[in-house]
Amino acid sequence: MLQMVSRSATTAESRAAGGAAVSIHNLCKRYNNFEAVVPTSVEIASGDFFAIIGPSGSGKSTLLGMIAGYIDPTAGRIVVDGRDIVPEPIYRRNIGMVFQNYALFPHLSVAQNVAYPLKIRGVAKHEIARRVRESLAMVRLEAFASRMPSELSGGQQQRVALARASIYQPSILLMDEPLGALDKNLRDEMQEEIKRFQQELGATVIYVTHDQQEAAFLADRIAIMRDGAMTQIGSPRSLYEQPKSRFVAEFLGEASIFPVKTASGKLTDQTCRITLEDGTETVIRTGEDGGPGRFACIRPERITIGPKARGLANAYTGVVRESLYTPGSIRYRVELKDAGCLLKVRALPQHNTEVFETGSSVDIGWSVDDMTILAE
Amino acid sequence: MSVSEKKLWTAWSRFLTGLVGAILIGFLVPILVVVAVSFQSKSYLSFPPTDFSLRWYQQFIGNDDYRSAILNSMMIGASAAALATIAGISTALAVVRARAPGSAIVSTLSIAPAVLPQIVLAIGLFPISVWLGLQGTLWAVILAHAVIGLPFPFITVCGALTSYSNRIEIASMTLGANAFQTFRLITFPMIRPAVIAGFIFAFAASLDELVLALFLSSPSTRTLPLLLWEQLNFQVTPEIAAAASVILAVTSLLILAATLLPRLDKDN
Repeated sequence: MLQMVSRSATTAESRAAGGAAVSIHNLCKRYNNFEAVVPTSVEIASGDFFAIIGPSGSGKSTLLGMIAGYIDPTAGRIVVDGRDIVPEPIYRRNIGMVFQNYALFPHLSVAQNVAYPLKIRGVAKHEIARRVRESLAMVRLEAFASRMPSELSGGQQQRVALARASIYQPSILLMDEPLGALDKNLRDEMQEEIKRFQQELGATVIYVTHDQQEAAFLADRIAIMRDGAMTQIGSPRSLYEQPKSRFVAEFLGEASIFPVKTASGKLTDQTCRITLEDGTETVIRTGEDGGPGRFACIRPERITIGPKARGLANAYTGVVRESLYTPGSIRYRVELKDAGCLLKVRALPQHNTEVFETGSSVDIGWSVDDMTILAE
Repeated sequence: MSVSEKKLWTAWSRFLTGLVGAILIGFLVPILVVVAVSFQSKSYLSFPPTDFSLRWYQQFIGNDDYRSAILNSMMIGASAAALATIAGISTALAVVRARAPGSAIVSTLSIAPAVLPQIVLAIGLFPISVWLGLQGTLWAVILAHAVIGLPFPFITVCGALTSYSNRIEIASMTLGANAFQTFRLITFPMIRPAVIAGFIFAFAASLDELVLALFLSSPSTRTLPLLLWEQLNFQVTPEIAAAASVILAVTSLLILAATLLPRLDKDN
């Protein structure tokens, strides 16, 4: 009997290795009259690192809870390697989960915590010991095997949680704000660790966070959630460079965003002129229909400041309203002359870069490719 | 805080300390009197004692009635506390973790036996126990005492369950453990100190219960408090004081255990 259990566990694990493809079909969750997650569909490829970001209350943790199995969906399917797992209880899903507050078992030692899923699966004792050693080595905690969780730092506890959630080689690893309780430096260190860990493990990771930097660093693809819906899904680069909405543009990185008043039509086959609400005219690349009700968006590092701006397709003069030197960048707020629109600008300080003081007059500009049009 | 305020505060806290002291002495004096009276040789209850003797303890130990009453009390206490603890854990889990519908009512009902008049319970239980054919058996008293013991494990286990997040149990289930395995390997070890404390309190509650025993037991299932009560009705000797002192000592030890054991358990 015992042997049978361990054999079936091994087949489940060998099938799982390499990460499962997850496809979610019209998954939704309604609480009385509140739609925590509206019907959502998304495909996550095998071995993908998929991040879900969004403000608190946007439904990202609810979505994760439905995949893990501790929240019952109102409707929809979650298909993992061709099989709908919604009817399956949590403990048969073979999904690893790492929680924000680690959720380590306080009465068990580090080694016992990591051994727990194997013990449940009826794996032989000597095999458990060997795999616990390997797993703790992977998160560099071999020396802490006999400690209690309360004797570890936050980062160490999270590494134990990582080892525990992955020792049975689940095909999917879910992480719910795993670094949320750590301080900044430790968070950066743990990000590296998680990335390396996922590459070694090869599992499909679904990672929830409200930190866009973290998501951009870790993920192959990011979904941005708002009011229970995924408003845009894409690579960190495509989300940053081609946001489709104001919400996405503002949520991911910094941007200066202005309502578009009129589109004055094509200049050439390639470009057209638009007028912003404050009267500023600018030339952008066509294909992006910039009519009223839409928004023009420009990222702070796409704006050129100083004499070099003079030769650009869109060249203006402006007044520096704010000037701030921060490690790695100089940040300005520049007001365009005769217009009043305030632009966020970020310049890279090199050895000869001029820093403009507040109040000084500057040349400022951007090319036709730097401004994008947001549909909403 | 100004100087006069500070003085006022000091005076107030002194007054409170004095008050608590007075209350404690008020509680303790009668208890100490019973103990003092039990260690003398006179054949009536006299205070203050004039000599020291273990005579009444010897008589108490040699008395078969007392011996069987102690045995009954222990058996009833242990069984009732075990039943109360099992019921207390189950209801606490339903109320705190499952948040089952009607949790508030279940919660109130589980605490009710601690505050409701026991005489009412006794009057209600008597016909039921006759109807079930349990009247006069140990089971009648065990079940009744399980009811009055229930609030203790219920309250302690509820406290333990609310002291940690159910994330830990969810984590256990994501790791592959079903509900039963999760209870055995995670929940129970986490609430064990509370279970031990609840069991001991329920046991102590049964040990000194008189009213229900009065209604539901027969001469063969007489408990120790009931025997004391009967003895008081026809002969008052210091033997009763000796018996009462023994109950006092056992209950005190139990309460001490209820405070110390969970702490020791937690340290392991």
